[in-house]
Amino acid sequence: MAAALTGVTPGPRSRRGVLRWIATHSIALAIGLMFVLPLVFVALTAFMSDRQALTSDLWPRSWHPENFAEVFHTAPLLRYFGNSLMYSLLATAGMLLSSVPAAYALARMRWRGRQAVFLIVIAAMMIPPQVLSVPLYVLWARLHLTGTLWPLIVPYFLVDAFSIFLLRQFFLTIPQSYLDAARVDGCGDLRALLRVLLPMTRPGIAAVSLFCFMYTWNDYFGPLLYAGENPDKWTLSLALASFRGAHQVQWNLTMAATVLVMLPVILLFVIAQKSFVRGITFTGVKG
Amino acid sequence: MRRIGVATACLALALAAGACGGVETGSSGTAQAPAANEKVSLSVWSKFSGRELGLLQKALDGFHGKHPNITVDNRGGQDDDKVAQAIRGGNPPDVAISFSTDNIGQFCSSGAWQDLKPYITRDKLDLNQIPAATRTYTEFKGTRCAMPLLADVYGLYYNKAMFAKAGITAPPKTMSELFEYAKKLTVFNPDGSIKVAGFVPTIGFYSNHVQMWAANWGVQWKGQDGKSALGTDPQWQAMLEWAKKFTDFYGKDKLAKFTAGLGQEYSPDQAFEKGQIAMAMDGEYRTAFITAEAPDLDYATAPFPVADNKPDLYGGGYTTGTIIGIPKGAKNAGAAWELVKYMSTDTGALQGLAQGLKNVPSTVPSLQDPTLQQDEHFKTFLDIFANPNLSTNPASSNGGAYLKTAEDFATSYQSGGVPDLKAGLAKTAAQIDADAQLGG
Amino acid sequence: MSAKPNAVPAAGSLSWIRPRPGHWIRPLAFMAPALVGFAVFFAYPLGALLYYSFTRYDLLNTPVWVGLRNYAFLLTQDPLARKAAYNTVWLVVVITVLRLIFATGVAAVLARIRNGAGLFRTLIYLPALAPPVAATLVFTFLFNPGTGPVNTVLGWVGVKGPLWFSDPAWAKPALTLLTLWVSGELIIILLAGMLDVPAELYEAAGLDGAGSIRRFWHITLPSIAPVLFFGVINSIILGLQYFTQAVVAASVASGSADIAGSQRVIGYPDNSTLTFPVWLYQQGFHYYNMGYASAMSIALFVVSTVFTVFFVYRLRRGSHGEEAA
Repeated sequence: MAAALTGVTPGPRSRRGVLRWIATHSIALAIGLMFVLPLVFVALTAFMSDRQALTSDLWPRSWHPENFAEVFHTAPLLRYFGNSLMYSLLATAGMLLSSVPAAYALARMRWRGRQAVFLIVIAAMMIPPQVLSVPLYVLWARLHLTGTLWPLIVPYFLVDAFSIFLLRQFFLTIPQSYLDAARVDGCGDLRALLRVLLPMTRPGIAAVSLFCFMYTWNDYFGPLLYAGENPDKWTLSLALASFRGAHQVQWNLTMAATVLVMLPVILLFVIAQKSFVRGITFTGVKG
Repeated sequence: MRRIGVATACLALALAAGACGGVETGSSGTAQAPAANEKVSLSVWSKFSGRELGLLQKALDGFHGKHPNITVDNRGGQDDDKVAQAIRGGNPPDVAISFSTDNIGQFCSSGAWQDLKPYITRDKLDLNQIPAATRTYTEFKGTRCAMPLLADVYGLYYNKAMFAKAGITAPPKTMSELFEYAKKLTVFNPDGSIKVAGFVPTIGFYSNHVQMWAANWGVQWKGQDGKSALGTDPQWQAMLEWAKKFTDFYGKDKLAKFTAGLGQEYSPDQAFEKGQIAMAMDGEYRTAFITAEAPDLDYATAPFPVADNKPDLYGGGYTTGTIIGIPKGAKNAGAAWELVKYMSTDTGALQGLAQGLKNVPSTVPSLQDPTLQQDEHFKTFLDIFANPNLSTNPASSNGGAYLKTAEDFATSYQSGGVPDLKAGLAKTAAQIDADAQLGG
Repeated sequence: MSAKPNAVPAAGSLSWIRPRPGHWIRPLAFMAPALVGFAVFFAYPLGALLYYSFTRYDLLNTPVWVGLRNYAFLLTQDPLARKAAYNTVWLVVVITVLRLIFATGVAAVLARIRNGAGLFRTLIYLPALAPPVAATLVFTFLFNPGTGPVNTVLGWVGVKGPLWFSDPAWAKPALTLLTLWVSGELIIILLAGMLDVPAELYEAAGLDGAGSIRRFWHITLPSIAPVLFFGVINSIILGLQYFTQAVVAASVASGSADIAGSQRVIGYPDNSTLTFPVWLYQQGFHYYNMGYASAMSIALFVVSTVFTVFFVYRLRRGSHGEEAA
C-alpha cells in the first residue's frame, strides 16, 4: 500500500508509451485543476477590495491582505475558534477513553452477547443524526444544558459507535499470538491492551482520533441544534454560516473568513497526511 | 468539568423520574417586585444590533436610574428562534423583545410568554392608553402575553431626484400607477441587465412580504367561518397576478441577478439608500437608517399605493410592532414586569426610543411628540398609524407557519411555477387550515 | 455533511480470532461506559421518539396523546413533507449514481498516473477536508449568478449560465456538483482498491489481447466490487441525511439577513432545497411541533434501517464466506 501511494513506478519507455504518458497526465492535470481551482478563486477573492469582489474579475487589481485582519475585527473569531477547539479536543479525548476498551472487548474478548452488541454498534453508526434529535434535545433541555456544547461532548465520554467500529477493525489486524504471548507473561487484559495492542495499533488510533477531531470540527448540525441560541458558544462552522448574513455583499470578507476556517484543517492534513490516507483506505477496503 | 458530573447524575435521575429540575410550570399568580434594597440583575434579549442596540441601552439606563437596585444585561442579536430555544432549555432571559408579531399566537397559546393579565390587574394599569390596533396584535384569544414596545408602520419610499428626472410629480396612489411609474423609472445597462429598478416586486425581498402588501390590497386572511380565505377572496388573485406581471416586465432571471447583487436590508449597502431602487415599501424606521447612512439621499415618503378597485383604502397600511414580554421560567419575573411596564408605558422612555429608532410610539400620550411630528418624512407614518384603514395580519396558534405557506405559494407563482392560480390558492388555503390543526 | 467519514465500512469480517475463555465481569467492565451510552443515547431516545410520535408536544406543556394523527398528517396532509421526501430521494439517487461514476472515473485515471501521483491525490482530497459550511460558501460564491466565476467562464465560451442556487430547477444540480467536488475520500478508497488488484490478473488478461476498456470492465470493476458496495451504502446514507449544505446554500442564496436555519429562508428557492431532515428540523425546532417531527424521524429511521439491514446482511454473508474458506 505504502509503495503504491507514493507512486513510485517506472517512467515511459517506448514512443507509444510517451504519448500515453502525456495523455493520462494531461487528463489528471485537468482533473486536479478542477478540484483545486475553486479554492484558488476563493483565495484570490479574499484579497480583493470590496468593490472588486462584486465584479466578475478573477484576479485582484490590488492586494488587500488587511481583509483577514478585518475579519477578526468584525467577528470574535478567536472565541469561536476556542469553542471549536474545546468541542473537538474534549470529544476526541472522551472518545479514546470510552471507545478503546469497548473496541478491545469486541475484538479480543469472548463473551455472550458480543455479536448482539456489535450489531447495535453498526445500527447506531448508521442512524442519521437527525432521527434522535427530538428526544435527545428534550433530554438535554430538561437538564438545562442546551445553549452549551456539553450535549455534544458528554456522549463521547460514553460511546461513539463509529470509533468503536473502526478501532475494533484495527485491533483485529494484530495477530492473536502477540496477545497470547503477553498473557503467558502474566499480563491481564488491561495490560495486554495497554502494553501490546495500543503500541502496535498506534497508527490506527491516530487515524480514528483524526476522524473524530475532523468530524466534530466540521460539525454543523450539532452546534446549530444545541448552541445556536447562544452566540457565546458558537463554533467556527456556525459562525461562518451566519457570517454572510451580516456581511451580505462583502464577498471578499466572507471568502477571507472561509479561508481562515479551512486553514487549520488543511494544516492538520499536511502534518498528518499519512494517518489520514491510512485511515481512509482502511475503512473502505480492509475488513 | 463539574457540570459533567452534575449532568451524569441528572441523566440517571432523568431516566428514572422523567425529569430533572424540569422546566417550571407557569404560575397564574404574580411575582413581587424586588424590595428597593434587593440587588437584582435582569437579562434582556432582543434582535437589535449596532446603533439600535445602543439606543435600547439608553432606555434601559433610564430604567436603571429609576430602579438603582436592578441592573440590566442587554443582549442583542437574539431572534425569536433563539429565545424560543432558550425558554425550552430552561435558561430564558428575564425579558424578551421580539421584532414582529408573527409568533404572538404561539407565544400566548403555548405559554412560552407569560400571561401578563395578573400583573396588569394588580397594578391597575390602564390599557386604554394603547391604540386599539396595537392592543389587538399584542394579545391572542384573550391572553395578553406581551406589551407593545413602539409600533412599525409601512409606507412608500421614493427617490425624488429620480422622479424629477422621469417627469413624475406625485407618488403613485394605485397599484397600476406604481407599475407604470416603475417602468418609467427603471434604467437598464447596455447589456440589458438592470441598473436601477423602479420597484423590485420580488416577494420575500426586503419588506416585500405578503402580509405587508395584503393590507394595501385589502385582502382577507380569514373568512367568517375562521377558515383561510386565500381561495375565496378574489383580491388574492389580483395581488399575485399583479406581482407576476410586474416580474415578467423585468424578466425573472434579470431580476434575480439584480437582487443577488444588492446590499443587505439593514446594512449601509441597502439598495434604496444606495440609489439602486427608485421606490420601495419599507417601515418608518428606514428614515433613521437614511439619516445615519445616506444623509444626502433626496427622498420622500407617502402611504403605499392601494388596489385599483379599493381606492378608499388609501392612507392606511400595514402595522406590526416590536413586542416585549416575560418568558416562561424567567428567574426574576417580578422585576421583569417592572421593566416591561416601564418600557411599554413610560412616556419619556417611549419617546426617547421612538426618536432614536424612528419608530411610532405605541401609547396615546407618547404619540403627542412634537419632535416626531415635525419630521416631514416621519409624519407620513404617524398619519398612516392614525388612519382607520390601518391593519395587521391575524395571529395563529402555530405562529407564522401560515405566513410561510402563503409566501411560499406566492413566490412559486411569481417565478412561473404555478399554472392554475385559482386552484393553487384554494389548495394553499386548505393547507393553512390543515396546518393550524397540527399546531393547535 | 453530517456523515462521519465513511460512516459505512466495507464488508468485513465478523469472525473472531479465538480468545481465552473469559469471565463475563471483565468484558462488562470494558464495555460499561459504552453500554450505558447506548442505553442513554440510543435505546432511551428511540423509545421516547416512538412515544412522542403519538403525541402533540411543544416542550412547554405536557405531551398530549393524539394517536396516529401525526402519521396521518405526514402521509396525507403535508405537501411540503412530500416535496421534502422527493428532494431527498432525488439527492440520494443522483448523488449515489453520479458520485460513484465520477469517483471511479477519477480513480481510474489516477491509477494510471506514474509521476506526481501523491500531489494529485492531495489536490483531490483537499476540498473534502473543508468544513461543509465553508465548502458550501465556496460554491455559492463560485456559482452566484451575477458575478460568480463559473458563469463568467461560461460567458467566455458563449454559454448563458443558469441562476444555479437561485433557480428551483438548478439548485439541486448545483448541490450535486458540490457533493462531487468533496468526494475525494471515496476517490482515494477506490484508488486504493484498484491498486490492490493483483497485477497477475491484468497480465493474464493481457495475454488474451484484451483492450484497456475491457480489462477495466472485466477485471478492475469486479475486483473493487466490495469497495463499490461500500460507496453505494455510504452515498445513500449521505443523501438521506443531507442537511448542512442545503441549509447554508438556501440561506446564502436567498440573501436573507437571518442566520442560517431561520424559517423564512429554509428551502430557498421555492423549497427546492428543502430536504427531509431540513423539514424535520423546521417542524421540530422552529414550529415546535415535536410530536410531528418525531413521526417524521420514525419515517426516516425506518428507511435508513432498511439500508442498515441490507448492509449487515451483506457483512454477515461476507464473514460466513471467509469462515468457510
